Amino acid sequence: MGTATLEAPAVDAAVARRRRRKYGGIHAWLFALPALAVYLIFLVYPALSSLWFSFTDWDGLSPTYNVVGLENYINMPKDPVVIQALINNIIWTVITIVFPVVIGLALAILLNGKVRGKPVLRLIFYTPAVLPLVAIASIWGWLYNPDYGAINSFLRLIGLGSLAQPWLGQDSTALAAVMVPAIWLRVGFPMLLYLAALQGISQDMYEAATVDGATKSQQFWHITMPSLRPAHYIVLALSLIDSFKVFDLIYAMTYGGPGTATQVMGTWMYFNVFQYYQAGYGTAIAVVITIIAIAVSIPYVRSQTKEHAV
Amino acid sequence: MSSSAEVAPVATLPDAHVAPSDELSREPKRKGGIGITIVLTLVALLWLSPLVLLVTTALRPLSDFVANGALSWPQEWTLQNFADAWGVGNFATTYRNSLFLLILKVPLGVLISAMLAFALAKLRLRFGTAIMFAVFLGLTIPIYITIVPVFVLLRSFGAIDSIPGLVGPYLAFGIPFEVLVLQSFFRQLPDELIEAAKMDGAGPWRIFFTLILPLSTPALVTVFILDAVATWNEFLFALILLSSDANKTIPVGLLNFQGQFSNNNTGLAAGILIAVVPILIAYIFLQRWIVGGLTAGATKG
Amino acid sequence: MTGTYTRRGFIGLSAAAVAAGLAACTGGGTAPAPAGQGGTSAPASNNLRVFTYEDTTTIDLFKEQIAKFDAQAGTTTTVDNLPGSGAAVYPDKLRTELLGGRGPDVWRIWGGQIGAPFVTAKQALDLTPYYQKFGWDSKINTDAIGGMTFEGVKAGVPFIARGIGAWYNQALFEKAGISGEPASYAELEEANEKLLAAGTTPLATGGKYGWHIMRLYEYLLETSAGPELHDKLLKGEESWDRPEVVTAFTNFKKWQDKKWIPEGALGLDPSDIEPEYVQGKTAYTITGQWTEVQAIQAAKKDSADFGVFQLPTDHTPLRYSGFVEGYMINARSGNPDKSAELIDFIVQPDTQKALKVTSSTVAGAEPDPKELPLSYEWSQGPAKQPFYTIQDQAFPKKVADQYFSIQSDLLQGKITPEEAAKQMQDAVSAWAKG
Repeated sequence: MGTATLEAPAVDAAVARRRRRKYGGIHAWLFALPALAVYLIFLVYPALSSLWFSFTDWDGLSPTYNVVGLENYINMPKDPVVIQALINNIIWTVITIVFPVVIGLALAILLNGKVRGKPVLRLIFYTPAVLPLVAIASIWGWLYNPDYGAINSFLRLIGLGSLAQPWLGQDSTALAAVMVPAIWLRVGFPMLLYLAALQGISQDMYEAATVDGATKSQQFWHITMPSLRPAHYIVLALSLIDSFKVFDLIYAMTYGGPGTATQVMGTWMYFNVFQYYQAGYGTAIAVVITIIAIAVSIPYVRSQTKEHAV
Repeated sequence: MSSSAEVAPVATLPDAHVAPSDELSREPKRKGGIGITIVLTLVALLWLSPLVLLVTTALRPLSDFVANGALSWPQEWTLQNFADAWGVGNFATTYRNSLFLLILKVPLGVLISAMLAFALAKLRLRFGTAIMFAVFLGLTIPIYITIVPVFVLLRSFGAIDSIPGLVGPYLAFGIPFEVLVLQSFFRQLPDELIEAAKMDGAGPWRIFFTLILPLSTPALVTVFILDAVATWNEFLFALILLSSDANKTIPVGLLNFQGQFSNNNTGLAAGILIAVVPILIAYIFLQRWIVGGLTAGATKG
Repeated sequence: MTGTYTRRGFIGLSAAAVAAGLAACTGGGTAPAPAGQGGTSAPASNNLRVFTYEDTTTIDLFKEQIAKFDAQAGTTTTVDNLPGSGAAVYPDKLRTELLGGRGPDVWRIWGGQIGAPFVTAKQALDLTPYYQKFGWDSKINTDAIGGMTFEGVKAGVPFIARGIGAWYNQALFEKAGISGEPASYAELEEANEKLLAAGTTPLATGGKYGWHIMRLYEYLLETSAGPELHDKLLKGEESWDRPEVVTAFTNFKKWQDKKWIPEGALGLDPSDIEPEYVQGKTAYTITGQWTEVQAIQAAKKDSADFGVFQLPTDHTPLRYSGFVEGYMINARSGNPDKSAELIDFIVQPDTQKALKVTSSTVAGAEPDPKELPLSYEWSQGPAKQPFYTIQDQAFPKKVADQYFSIQSDLLQGKITPEEAAKQMQDAVSAWAKG
């Protein structure tokens, strides 16, 4: 079904592409200008003027500083916390992308189908994303309380008391313990984007497939998933960056601890810039984060700027 | 098969208004869905369960909370926290400020982002790739790295400690996300449609406003919701750039419930509910525009 | 490679460039002058700005007193308040204001290493002349002034000195058969055993952020090392790699292994765990006078059912851990004289009383014995003793965090007390040298 409709538009598209060259020029710039101007003034310029400090020993408060060249960058691999933070970042990124995206996609599909009370259900799964972090940190801190917390109480109730842990109080479980609320509050985002994307798939395709005798699972893999491909791209790209730059949830829930067990690049940069008065070094960490982000974003940006995925 | 990205839009457009309404009318007749409904409801209850703590905390006196701990079941119930929180959190002022900011910022942000996204997706903007990269990079820039230059910049405009002064930085930090999402959706709209409109003599502005935007309602509303939530909850810029009580926004006002040595947890919980509930209500109304078939009639069929 | 640049000049210049580019939109012709130096060539301004972090319960009292000062001094003072932000957020806002503009004339700040960067960066004025002019040396607690003296420079005026002691639940102590308040470390350990036998966790402490559980370790170190050595250790003048430090770490681990602190204490939030002595879930906690209002009275309980004692160190003088808060004056203030006058007004006993400061650095502003009997008791006893700087103010934040990491590794059994002592020495010496 899908392939049949493809041929004609593909040809048309090639023609259209040639015609489209007439566009662009001044009109394109008029469309782009307002956003670009705001973006340059309030984001690019401040970011670039901060970039400079990664080559200095500025403490973040003094009127003066010294230029130290690449020293901050050279010192980074020698900082054991940076290494630990990078490892934590990778674990964090994988887990907090895979689970929210898969759950979010499943919810979007189910909540786009035959279910009662859809508006309420859609609201419930999105609600955690709206809460201020101070609330999330307090609530989950209470739930994880080793003595009275709901999680250990539940484990004891079902006879698994031996599995009860001081979840946030030991290096071995702290990071995982923060990932659970992260997944909880991040499911809403992919769900919302997938819901929007699902509106673009015609019911007729499913009807036709049903007539042809396709099973639900065949329909999912041959109609739904391919149709959602652009949505997958954008969801994954945004989640990747969002996960990689994680800062405030970890800061609020564990403060990077116990010890430095849950430090990630984002929190470590914050500690250096603000709390340790090592703005030069902290900014260098920010630059490294950005460079890593550039690297991982290359495939995405290229996929988006190719003419079409023909 | 590599061009499957095009399947959706091509198939969609002529039917965009048909499909959802079709689905709606069919739904009651179909049996089934009960099993899934029950499972989803149970999952939803589990999902919501941590928030029970927020609600019980908001509904008990502070003395009960301090005397028995967060996880105890309240011995006493009260609504007084909400009345008190309204005053402590200075909500009469912070609500007005946050709402003003939201109305000022979010529609403007979505509009200019949509314009840039349109230019990137459909108008063959020169240096498009470079601009995409630049926009993407913006996602990675943490606010606190830029806070001092932004402060200096706003100060030179005389825009420190004012709500409109926040709009610039808020717009800039919202643009990357909005542009990327919108351009991804715009790209899926078939070029043929634009070509056809051009044949009818429409210019790019008319195409943008009468064709692209209406066809993208689900995406626009999604971006609007996400941006509204981000704006409503933004803390760091508001904290650093606003000083006087008369100009503070809700997240900064919530600090009033915290002390140097202990927090007014019951007041804070009530304050958070006061702050969050309107956003949730708005969400209920707005989500109908994402999925409710309200885009029908937007296309001329 | 080491030319010294003026940071402000750099940002100022680039801001000017952008502003010029945008002149059309801003319509303003005023040059951006973030530097502020000489921005006020006019005679001393009578407009003052104070930046503070009063709780919502006390800010109105503060504003009242400022208005009183304005009336008598002929000034117009604006008060900017950032409640509830704590040491984590407030300094961030302060430093941004100082970097991005003139900043406030007077600001409140904690002593020790939290206030120190503002002095090192020369943002805070040297107040020595004003100390002489107003005779603060003789009016204000000497230890407290020490907490606001930075490498010999008196750059702040302390008005609050808070002390840390053991606050306990009398019913639980009685139930465990503890007759009197422990007077030696051995008696405290004995009391712990009795409490445990009676089914109560002795000490409520939480390791999230590190500084709360640190109150136990610093007490153990004061006990094993004694006042003189402890002070030298805090300044990095003596090596931490020594038996006294190892003993303190060994005891620290012992408190956990004997279950004298709650299970999983490392992950607990201090604000959740501290009130547990009021709730009757644990027997006591190590904290300051504020707990009387914010835990005991907030729970609508009677102070008479609780008690406070100074943690016994077996040394003379018997010291406790303390920290100060005070005011600094902006080095670029338009009117430092009036600013100093304002501070002098604040540290008057009458003003302190009106502000309901319960742990003032000046005599004559003690808490009301009827309202706050336990705080009063503390002010009459321990508060008159010398104190040592609480360790998270004695060390810069970075060293303090390394120290908390070592605490955490030790309690989790990842390192031995000997290794912990060695690692402490590495962390402290790296700072003391630099």
